Amino acid sequence: MPHSLVATRRHRRARWKRAASAALAAVVVAILGLLAASPASAAYGQIEGTGSTWSQVIVDQWIADVSANGMQVVYTGGGSSKGRKDFAQGSTDFAISEIPYQGAAEQDTSGGREFAYLPIVAGGTSFTYHLEAGGKLVRDIRLSGETIAKIFTGAITKWNDPQISSDNNGRTFPDTAIIPVVRSDGSGTTAQFTTWLDKQYPSLWRSVYAKGGLTSYYPQIPSAVGASSSDQVMNSISAPSGNGTIGYVEYSYPVNKGYPVVKVLNAGGFYVEPTQYNVAVALTTAKINTADPTAENYLTQDLSEVYTNGDPRAYPLSSYSYMLIPTASDDSRMKGQTNKRQTLVDFLFYSLCEGQGKAGAYGYSPLPLNLVQAGFEQIGKLGAADGDVDIAGREPTRCNNPTFVPGDLSKNHLAEVAPQPAACDKSGAGPCLGSDQSQTAGGAPVAAGAGAGGAVTTAGGAANGTKGGTASAASGGALPTAGGAADTAGQVDPETGLPVSSGDGTMSVASASVSTVLPPRPVGGSLLFGVLAAIELLALVLLPALLIVLWRRNRTRAITPTTEDPWLDGGAS
Amino acid sequence: MSTEVREVTPRAEPARPRPISSKATGSDAVFVKGTRTVAATVLVITGGIGVFLASQSIPTLRHYGWSFFTETQWAPETDTIGIAAVLVGTFTVALVAMSIAFPLSLATALYISEFAPPRVRSTLVSMVDLMAAVPSIIYGLWGFFLLQPHASAVARFLHANLGWIPIFDVDADADAAQWEQTRYTASAFIAGLAVAMMVMPMASSVMREVFSSAPLGEREGALALGSTRWGVIRSVVLPFGRGGIIGGTMLGLGRALGETIAVLIIVSPRFDLKFKPLEIGTNTVSALIAGRFGEASVAQLSALLTAGFVLFCLTLLINTLAAIVVSRSRSGAGTDI
Repeated sequence: MPHSLVATRRHRRARWKRAASAALAAVVVAILGLLAASPASAAYGQIEGTGSTWSQVIVDQWIADVSANGMQVVYTGGGSSKGRKDFAQGSTDFAISEIPYQGAAEQDTSGGREFAYLPIVAGGTSFTYHLEAGGKLVRDIRLSGETIAKIFTGAITKWNDPQISSDNNGRTFPDTAIIPVVRSDGSGTTAQFTTWLDKQYPSLWRSVYAKGGLTSYYPQIPSAVGASSSDQVMNSISAPSGNGTIGYVEYSYPVNKGYPVVKVLNAGGFYVEPTQYNVAVALTTAKINTADPTAENYLTQDLSEVYTNGDPRAYPLSSYSYMLIPTASDDSRMKGQTNKRQTLVDFLFYSLCEGQGKAGAYGYSPLPLNLVQAGFEQIGKLGAADGDVDIAGREPTRCNNPTFVPGDLSKNHLAEVAPQPAACDKSGAGPCLGSDQSQTAGGAPVAAGAGAGGAVTTAGGAANGTKGGTASAASGGALPTAGGAADTAGQVDPETGLPVSSGDGTMSVASASVSTVLPPRPVGGSLLFGVLAAIELLALVLLPALLIVLWRRNRTRAITPTTEDPWLDGGAS
Repeated sequence: MSTEVREVTPRAEPARPRPISSKATGSDAVFVKGTRTVAATVLVITGGIGVFLASQSIPTLRHYGWSFFTETQWAPETDTIGIAAVLVGTFTVALVAMSIAFPLSLATALYISEFAPPRVRSTLVSMVDLMAAVPSIIYGLWGFFLLQPHASAVARFLHANLGWIPIFDVDADADAAQWEQTRYTASAFIAGLAVAMMVMPMASSVMREVFSSAPLGEREGALALGSTRWGVIRSVVLPFGRGGIIGGTMLGLGRALGETIAVLIIVSPRFDLKFKPLEIGTNTVSALIAGRFGEASVAQLSALLTAGFVLFCLTLLINTLAAIVVSRSRSGAGTDI
């Protein structure tokens, strides 16, 4: 019996050894295979870049796409200011920035490194918010530019401010403090936003930033919270504790998180979201500097006419994002490294060409073909810097770009097919509400025990003149009118002060969204509760220990009444 | 018979001691010189850092003068730079961290060295050491995503019930039906909690070592005189380890002052001169440097390095004091029975 056991054990060990050596051989073969495969990708070298987090979502996607072809691109974000700085110091191969170098006065130059700007993608700086009413996320908020400016300069501090209500055509919001979330690092998003503030609402903007003009560092305003990247802004807003916050990030961030964005009032009198269509429409009036292809600021943008674009579909805060590429033939990081230049060239060709087709789905907007072509010409400077770089055979018209109109590269197909905004998005009409949203988002304070089961308002004609498309259909018909309110048909509701319609079926009942503003707790109770809290905390720490001591004492007494101290069995050294 | 007095100086030479050299010879000399050189490089490096920071801070101090220490705002774009608010924030975070880490590490050290059964002890020691090995960015993420929602509820509770004490005050309505949770997040309190977790293992291991080196004779003496276990701790271990407790705490304080990445992740940077640990918004010197370093221009970089120089001097001072206290405590001079 023991013999056979030993035999089987030995046998098993032998089998293990054989399996292990087989596995080792497989690993060696795999490594050899990798080594054999690597010369194929030697045409590429790893390139690194930092910069904008505004466009990071789509850039990361492009990087993931091209990595299948052996291109290694590392992009770590960090903010546009950091991107420009790193590029100037020669510690990166490329940078992405929303704004160009601001010049020597701001100590913001390329430090002598030769470079070219190259638009990579368009998008809208969106305002995303987190506001709860009745335990639900409020959506479909619309704001005029002036209201946004006032929120971000500290002039409007509550969500139930009359100006916000009038932007939303009488829709009311809870009595919650507005907490603007701004970028605390040097940010191109901040620069784009403050450019708009400075151009459109100079007096409001200069009340917090006396110097005027754009800045990459948002000035400190009392109620605001700082966060150090687009991701962190989005995290602060979407955190469970983020009720009442509003922040500015590229549209892709709220899209990814499933958070709503503010519909911003444009010069055409409509409230619009930064969809790829609306951004494309707005940017048709962007002035691109194309005067001198050799100038440093070639292809940079002037957005002042985008802000005032009168098209009803235009999103006012649309802009392009730029990449900075090193163009000198003796560039410190590219010199003699054809494979790195080739990586940058092929990555850019992919991004500007096929990559644009993905922009819409990720919350950006594709570049129009004329800018793609200008970008291709800029890429050509990389070919001029090093003759071995292959830039031949690239044709923008074959890019599957959704903006492409055959025959006229300056036209933008997206802008032509962009849908007109809904009638309820017009200023003074609506508002357009989603199925789970109600006209009264918890604004009217209702005393406890009042007759009506909820604040009753009309979503349609009776109160506001125009009828919100989806609102009454979904939430109106579903719920019967609450008891007390039905009796006051045709009257003014005593609680809300709003006219009550005749209850003919177009009624919408805000069932769960009435906030109850309670009177503050009686003064003097806090001390008592404080003492109680302290006692509870002490009890929480001490009670388990005391119980264990009691239990052990009882037990030792029960076993041997005259035993020694129970502590001694533990033993200290 | 006459007696002749001979005046002959005695020839005996005075006893001269054999020269004894304490000079190391051979391999000893090589070893001593070698280690001395290596040890000296530590001093040279530390001194070099100090000299480098000091030289970098000259242009900033010349430009801003004393206002660098009294100005609260850090706004390079408007040429106002000062570290008053940042220094206050640094100490707020460190004090919060120490007020949590001190009782935790003291209790942990006492339990491990005095009460823990021997087979559990080594496990506990390595667990505490493991806490020290966790990277600080992990503590930062832990604090931001896991701790913050709950800690902000604690902060609100403290504000609601103890708000009449100024340090628990928050500029928000604690009794609101829908409380403004954001006002209680990203605060020095929550950053301090995360930092406390990093400081605790360090302070605890210093304390534990001092406690376990309390003289055995005196422990047994106290037990022989009829002392309880707690009596031994009170009359032997704690007085003997007093220096270790102070030293460990100050080493922890030094670390808490310099903690960077966890604070950077958690706090919302603000430059207000205030001592409201529960309220949103604060900043520390190291978080300021880490946050602004990447995009700083030459002048800003000099200003950041000046802030770093101030922090360097502070932590050097605190750690030196801690080292002095710890080294004194080793003699057991503090023991009195």
